[in-house]
Amino acid sequence: MSAVFALVIFPGGVFILLAGMLYEWVDRKLVARFQNRVGPRWFQPLADTVKLLAKEEVVPDGVNAQLFVVLPVIALAGALTAVLYVPVFGLAPSFSFSGDLIVTIYMLSLLTLCMGLAGANTLNRFSLLGATRTLTQLFSYEAPFLLALLGPAIVAGSWRISTIADYAAGHWLILTQPIGFAVALIGLMGKLELPPFDAPEAETEIVAGALTEYSGRGLALFHLGKGVELVVGLTLVAAFYLGGVTNPLWFAVKTLALLVGLAGVQTLLTRLRIDQTVGLWWRYGALLVLVQFLALILWEGVIA
Amino acid sequence: MQVPIMPAKGEKFIIPIGPQHPALKEPGHFEFSVDGEVVTGASLRLGYVHRGIEKGTEGRNWVQTLYLLERICGICSHVHATAYCLGVERLAGVEAPPRAQAIRSLVAELERIHSHLLWLGVAAHEAGFDMLFMHSWRDREIVMNLLEGLTGNRVNYSANVLGGVKCDIDARQTDAILAGLEHLEDRTRHYLTVVTSDVMFLRRTRGIGVMTKDVAEKLGVVGPTARASGVARDVRLNAPYAAYDRYPVELITATAGDLEARFIVRVQELFETYRVIRAILADLPEGELTVRMPRRIKEGETISRVEAPRGELFYFIKSNGSDTAERVKVRTPTLPNMASVLTLAVGHQLADMPMILAGIDPCFSCNDRMIVVRDPAGRGAHWTWDDLREYGIEYYR
Amino acid sequence: MTIEAATPLLTTWATDTAQPEPGRLDAVVPRENLLAAVQSLIDARWGYLAAITGLDQGVEAGMFEVLYHFCSEAVVVTLRVPVPRDDARVPSVYAIIPSVSFYERELMEMFGIEVEGTPNSDRLFLPDDWPAGVYPLRKDFEMKDAGADHAS
Repeated sequence: MSAVFALVIFPGGVFILLAGMLYEWVDRKLVARFQNRVGPRWFQPLADTVKLLAKEEVVPDGVNAQLFVVLPVIALAGALTAVLYVPVFGLAPSFSFSGDLIVTIYMLSLLTLCMGLAGANTLNRFSLLGATRTLTQLFSYEAPFLLALLGPAIVAGSWRISTIADYAAGHWLILTQPIGFAVALIGLMGKLELPPFDAPEAETEIVAGALTEYSGRGLALFHLGKGVELVVGLTLVAAFYLGGVTNPLWFAVKTLALLVGLAGVQTLLTRLRIDQTVGLWWRYGALLVLVQFLALILWEGVIA
Repeated sequence: MQVPIMPAKGEKFIIPIGPQHPALKEPGHFEFSVDGEVVTGASLRLGYVHRGIEKGTEGRNWVQTLYLLERICGICSHVHATAYCLGVERLAGVEAPPRAQAIRSLVAELERIHSHLLWLGVAAHEAGFDMLFMHSWRDREIVMNLLEGLTGNRVNYSANVLGGVKCDIDARQTDAILAGLEHLEDRTRHYLTVVTSDVMFLRRTRGIGVMTKDVAEKLGVVGPTARASGVARDVRLNAPYAAYDRYPVELITATAGDLEARFIVRVQELFETYRVIRAILADLPEGELTVRMPRRIKEGETISRVEAPRGELFYFIKSNGSDTAERVKVRTPTLPNMASVLTLAVGHQLADMPMILAGIDPCFSCNDRMIVVRDPAGRGAHWTWDDLREYGIEYYR
Repeated sequence: MTIEAATPLLTTWATDTAQPEPGRLDAVVPRENLLAAVQSLIDARWGYLAAITGLDQGVEAGMFEVLYHFCSEAVVVTLRVPVPRDDARVPSVYAIIPSVSFYERELMEMFGIEVEGTPNSDRLFLPDDWPAGVYPLRKDFEMKDAGADHAS
């Protein structure tokens, strides 16, 4: 019974969806205020979602209709599954097994993959180009992001998120692994396609990228998925690098602090072209995090 | 050097941009053929906001035509009216009083601030730099309020009448304008720093869309686009009109010819504009605002050129001695500059296209001057709401 | 560049020259000489082509006039090419000035003057379903010619 509760109501399901919307609102509001705009009201993401869900979902000609309908569901399901293994709201993860870190990371990538497939599924040229860019970007940030999250795993000596989080609660790993922290945070921005990594959905070039043909329910589900991913990503980074999220208060303070940082970066930077994004990740991101990773392994090896 | 004509259809992957597209604030239709992300060909189709204005001038008298031409463009409406008024006055053999000419220049320069700040925001938005977009548009409100105080309108100021201007300027407005300029100058200095030193932004502008001086001259580009490539071309300087011989403008050029240079030239032009406005306000001639214009203009032809914010605006006006114009030809600065977009597009990344397009500050309303209301049922000129609704439903059935 | 510099460039090709206003030079150039006249201006790097204006003299006169305006600083040189209505064509200057394509497309669709040798004769401004053979800037154009679909 408690498992069902965890899945559907808290911390998974309804609660995490609302949290995703709340975080999306905070992000949008902060960016708006930084840009000297008023910004959306607090219920705007919820209103957007309700409006989209109430609308007709147009299935365009020339797509595989089943795939078109099912992809957003898989994307959201992937993100929601990831929630069960991370300490959201400062609580212990609902489920936990050895190696759940890897599963979680790939559950998060499922959303991006689904978006890429969704774009490639349609005949729309903007979607196709968006899909190409989405997947290109996925391949550029994925490896560094993974390595950045494996750093804490190495020092904690476990691949289980709860164990790593427990270890990290006593150690501010941001101090010992600053590169990993930066790469994880920036990788999260790439994952969420936030500026300056929003080339896959650059509206002035390719309208809405891979999701151009999506409307109504499908679009709402993708948006919800992104909201959930934002919370999960922030939770992971906060739990691993910022001294852990051991209670709801710390959770709120640390993830929101990270979100302020994200909003600031979004406001300050110009969108990177897709080739610049790839260049940035492989030339600097991957290299730096790899150096740190090797150093960690050597360090652990010498100590042990 | 070739202006690409059409991408070879069939085997290429063609990205259509427009008529409706988030990068375009006005409708135009571009087709870019791409190889991966690299553009290999480009073509252009205009006319989505063509309103038949050149033809429309043939059925209107000289005064009505003024108000029609002023509505060619919402951003640079004043320069259209100025070019037309100066041309018609020359044909009629009258000259507007010095105070009117000075006010024409004053409004033109305020309009230039408004246009350049608008452009700065749009161009930044194309690059995904929304911070600059929002801030420059906020500052644009200042100059729009000044224009409203001066003429009564935020756009389509209607400052010009044939033979002079309709609005005078008093001490209170002078003070308001000077105070506004003070603030704007401060902000402009900040924007100049941003466009020349923001590392991420420079990655999107430096070395992108380079047009050499030679190419620029050959394509006949005008305005800031030409000046950014080192071509000394500014009608205010080359052929002073209105009051520009009294308040001379200094030429702003750059040599790099890339997008960064176009940013720098436009932002630096703002400083020059502030200086000219201050000079006009400090030394405004006294006197009448209008002279009497004849209703019929004597036969003849004239060419009137003014420097719009986007470059040289070219008017050819022919009178047949009656109270209507025989022919008014308008060549707006966007048309020659547009050829440069298609030329520069080839070989660049698709992601650079919106920036290169924005780099010339295109104005489709200026380009397109004719549109035809479709009426499949032959119902005549007046459409009721029900007609329109029914038409819309039928169209998509 | 001045009018004095432009005059010798055009004397060979023009049948008549006039200075209607200060800073303007009008040269009547027969259409067979147009390309040569343009070429000589371009070779001497005299200004740039600012616009092409079409003029309809009316049905009775039976003539069009195509004006090629070249600007250089304060000076405007206009090549006036007379074109008979029943043989409405001019050679394209695309080979000399590649950016001219838009002007020539506008001239073609608005006046029905055929521009021979221009690489792109697609419509630029008029709608796709505008009837063929109807040219809105001709003096004898009437709204009903545009077809029921377009008469507003």
